[in-house]
Amino acid sequence: MLIERLDEPVKVRADFQGGAIRPLLFRRGATSHRVVTVNARWEDREGQQKIHYFSVSVGSGDVYQLRFQAGDLLWFADSVMMEA
Amino acid sequence: MASERMDASAGAGSTHAGARRIVHADIDAFFASVEQLKDPRLRGRPVIVGTGVIASCSYEARRRGLRAGTALREARRLCPDAVFIAGHAPTYRAFADRVFAVCRDLAPAVDAYLDDAYLDLTGTERLYPDLFACGQLLRARVRAATGLTITAGIASNRMIARLASRGAKPDGLALVPPGEENAFLRGRPLADLPGIGPRTAELLQSLGLETIADVATMGADALARLLGAPGRLLHERASGRDTRPVSPREIPRSIARETSFDTPAADPALIDAMLAYLIERAARAARRLGLLARTIAVHVEPDGERRVEARSTLAAPSALDGVLVAAARALLARAHPRRLALRRVGIELAGFLAAGGEQLDLLVAREREAALAGGVDRVRERYGHGALIAGRALALLDGHARDRYGFVLRTPSLTK
Repeated sequence: MLIERLDEPVKVRADFQGGAIRPLLFRRGATSHRVVTVNARWEDREGQQKIHYFSVSVGSGDVYQLRFQAGDLLWFADSVMMEA
Repeated sequence: MASERMDASAGAGSTHAGARRIVHADIDAFFASVEQLKDPRLRGRPVIVGTGVIASCSYEARRRGLRAGTALREARRLCPDAVFIAGHAPTYRAFADRVFAVCRDLAPAVDAYLDDAYLDLTGTERLYPDLFACGQLLRARVRAATGLTITAGIASNRMIARLASRGAKPDGLALVPPGEENAFLRGRPLADLPGIGPRTAELLQSLGLETIADVATMGADALARLLGAPGRLLHERASGRDTRPVSPREIPRSIARETSFDTPAADPALIDAMLAYLIERAARAARRLGLLARTIAVHVEPDGERRVEARSTLAAPSALDGVLVAAARALLARAHPRRLALRRVGIELAGFLAAGGEQLDLLVAREREAALAGGVDRVRERYGHGALIAGRALALLDGHARDRYGFVLRTPSLTK
C-alpha cells in the first residue's frame, strides 16, 4: 500500500443536509473523482478551527483522505492510498 | 463476537446489594482497526502500524505471532505480506475521544486511557437494570458512532472487569456476576494478576505457586513476610478484591511525549531539537491544565539496544520550556553518554501540583519567560501547535516530517 501525501486544495461537491457533511464528488487538477463510499469520518481541531476528515473510496478504487476546514470553508485532499 | 456470562440465569447482570458495577471497555486492535476502517481494502489483511517497532497490529497479523513491541524487521520476516503503515497519532486520538464520549454519555464516571476506559455504573440500577444489556448497548453505540468494535468486561471491580474483557477479545462481551470473582480467578496463571512482574512471578513459582488461587490460599501475612507491604495488596487482588475507584483524574500522574525515528538519529543537533520539541509539547499540555511538574524523565533507545532512562527532581516545580529543556538536556547527557544513534527518544513530566503556589522570587525571575509562554500558548490555541516553531527546534525542519499539528511524533501522546 502506497500513501502519497498531497495537501492540495480541491473543489468538492458535498451534501450538507441534516447537519452531516457528505462529500459526493471532487475535482483534483483536471480529474473529477466520484465518491463511491465514505469509509470513515472523524473530527479534530487545529487551534480554534474545527476540521472534518473523510476517508473516501473513489471510482478508480483508490482511497483519498479529504479534509474540510469549517473555519474558512476550504477543502483539501490530504493523501491518497494506492495499491502498490 | 464472543458474548458470555459466567452465570446464565436470568438477571445475572442485574442488581446485587452493595456491589459496584464496573465496565472495562477496550478498543480492539485500535490503530490497526482505524486503518482498516479508513481503507476497506485492508480488511481481512494483516495490518501493522508503527515505526521501528509495532505499535498496533490487526488480529490477522496477531494470528501470525506478531505483537505490539515486535521490531518491524522481525515483523517483515514473519509476515512479509503485511501492510505496514507509519500511523498518525492525532487521527487515533480523535477516534478515541469519540469512543470515550459515548462512554461518558452512558456512565456517570469514566476513567479513560489511550485505547481503553473504565466506566462506573454504580447507582444506575434503575436506568440499566440488566448490566449485560447495558454492555451490549455500549458496544452498539460505539460501533454506530465510530465504526470501531470494542470488547467490554463487566464485574464488581476494575481488575475483574479488565480480566473479563481480555478473555472476550475481540468484539466480545463478558460479565462476571458479583460473588463469582473467586470462581472466575481460580486456575488463572499468576501473570494475570496486576502488579506481578517477572521477578515476583519467579519467586512465587519457586515456592510452588502457579495459579492465582495458590496465592490467595497462601494468606496475606505470609505474602507480606515474603514481599513486604505489596504482599498484602497482592493477596487482596488474588482474592478478587480491588477497591480502586473509577473517577476522571483532575491531575494526571504524568504527561509523556515520545517519538521513534524513521532511521536511527545520530546527529546531536537533531536529537537536541527533538528533545526540546517534546518538552515544548508536554509543557504546553501541563500549562493548559494549570499544572507545574516536579519531576522530569528522559528516556532513549539506542539502535539495537535496550531503553535507558534518567530521571530527576526539579529545583522548583515548573511548566516553562526553558527550565524543562535545561533539565532534559542534563538528563540526556546522563542517559545517552555514548552518542549512539537513537531509535527512539521520549520525555515525561510528573509529580504535578496546581500552578499558583510558586515562590514569589522564582515567579519574578521567570516573569518574562512566563509571559512569553503565555503569548505562544494563545497563538497556538487559536492557530494550532504547528503555527509556531521554537528556535531550539529549528533543526527538525531539515528533514523531519511535519504536518499541520507540528512535527510528526511517531508515538501517540500519553497523558495518564
